[in-house]
Amino acid sequence: MTWLLDYYNYRIVAQYLGRFAEGLSNTLTAAGVSLVLSLLLGTFVALALLSNRMGLRKPVEGYVAFIRATPLLVQIYLVYYGLPALLPFAKSWNDMYFGIAALTLNSAPYMGEIIRAGIESIPRGQIEGAKAVGMNYGQRMRYVVLPQAFANTLPPLIGQTAVLIKDTSLLSIITVFEFTSAGILLNSERVRPNESFLTIALGYLLIYLVILLLSRGVKQWLAGPAWNAQG
Amino acid sequence: MIERYWSITSSLLPFLWKGFLETLYVSLVAIVAGSLIGAVIGLVRSQRVPLLTGLFGLYIHALRGTPFLVQLYVFYFVLPNTGISWLSWDSRTAAFVALSVYTSSYVAEIVKAAIEAVPRGQSEAATALGMTRLQRLWYVVIPQALKLTVPPMSGVYVMIIKSTAILSVVGISELTRQGEVSILRFPRDVLFIYGLIAFIYFLYCYPVLRFARWAERRVGAARTVDLD
Repeated sequence: MTWLLDYYNYRIVAQYLGRFAEGLSNTLTAAGVSLVLSLLLGTFVALALLSNRMGLRKPVEGYVAFIRATPLLVQIYLVYYGLPALLPFAKSWNDMYFGIAALTLNSAPYMGEIIRAGIESIPRGQIEGAKAVGMNYGQRMRYVVLPQAFANTLPPLIGQTAVLIKDTSLLSIITVFEFTSAGILLNSERVRPNESFLTIALGYLLIYLVILLLSRGVKQWLAGPAWNAQG
Repeated sequence: MIERYWSITSSLLPFLWKGFLETLYVSLVAIVAGSLIGAVIGLVRSQRVPLLTGLFGLYIHALRGTPFLVQLYVFYFVLPNTGISWLSWDSRTAAFVALSVYTSSYVAEIVKAAIEAVPRGQSEAATALGMTRLQRLWYVVIPQALKLTVPPMSGVYVMIIKSTAILSVVGISELTRQGEVSILRFPRDVLFIYGLIAFIYFLYCYPVLRFARWAERRVGAARTVDLD
């Protein structure tokens, strides 16, 4: 195994294992919290995009267009420098909070588009049937549309989650100590690019594989019950 | 207030314009080079060539499963470190190659899906006419698949433009980097300058997004449902 040490000295990686673990846990925290928050905000975005109220729909459309047409890195900078100016209480936030805020604002429109497409995929007859039995808008949403939309949106939402996890790597630029930062730290202290960057690449790849398997499992699971009943 | 912002804008505009030209240049190189590599890989994968299909599958998963920032670091730090002389490139080459390779992984999947979406009967009819595999692809399948690639390719183009911002990390003088340098001149107007940068990206990306939406409607009609 000594020949391997020239190319990839796993002993150095082992010395930094604690830092890598710390980074990984911050990456998963940032991604997990942003996922929950962006699903909440995304559901609101989806409902606003489907709304007939111009006063609600137009501003949300503008927000979605802005997020989709500007780079995440610039959005992160805008949140990092803009939020403390906008909200006085954000001045005492640590970098992680800004990272989560930026990722949530970035991810919500994409989640929202997926949820909106899921809602639109519900056959008309389902909604008409719910109207016919006297359900109001809230009831139709809660009991008829959203449960079915959930099944249609789960696979693409998992895909978007994979994107979200990869996007957390940009938080290293605003000095959040996440997984990529651990690699950068190793490289700056030891100048070993292979051990630094191949290790984190492999780590992200493993996370991606877990999500890929999860996504396949979910697709198989959803193909079971009568989700695809004709309207 | 407005006068102040106007004077900042007018004094920075030539500098930011240079950055925008670099962003434009990198994104064009990446979409062209990435499409060429991606088209070949997607074509090979759609034909289920033994060994190559699996090998390219690994290539695609490796590129889609890791953040572009990490890939950039690999191209910038790891590859020149291998000791192979032609890989010891400068930061600009590393950035261009990294973005093109990243792009190719998305293009490959689009091309594969488009080829597979052309109805089987088309290819079978061509077989019945005595066409060889290459003739079937070139004269029958690819012309029809090409149309299907337009909406997703526009999406990839927007993604590339947005990814070029990450190249600022390795010192490429594109729009975001020029913005960071501008902040050294006007340290009190960080927010305004990033807002200006965001606006310039918006002007570049938004028309492409609108085109993508239009093309999507042309290729496959969207369904609508009223909820009220």
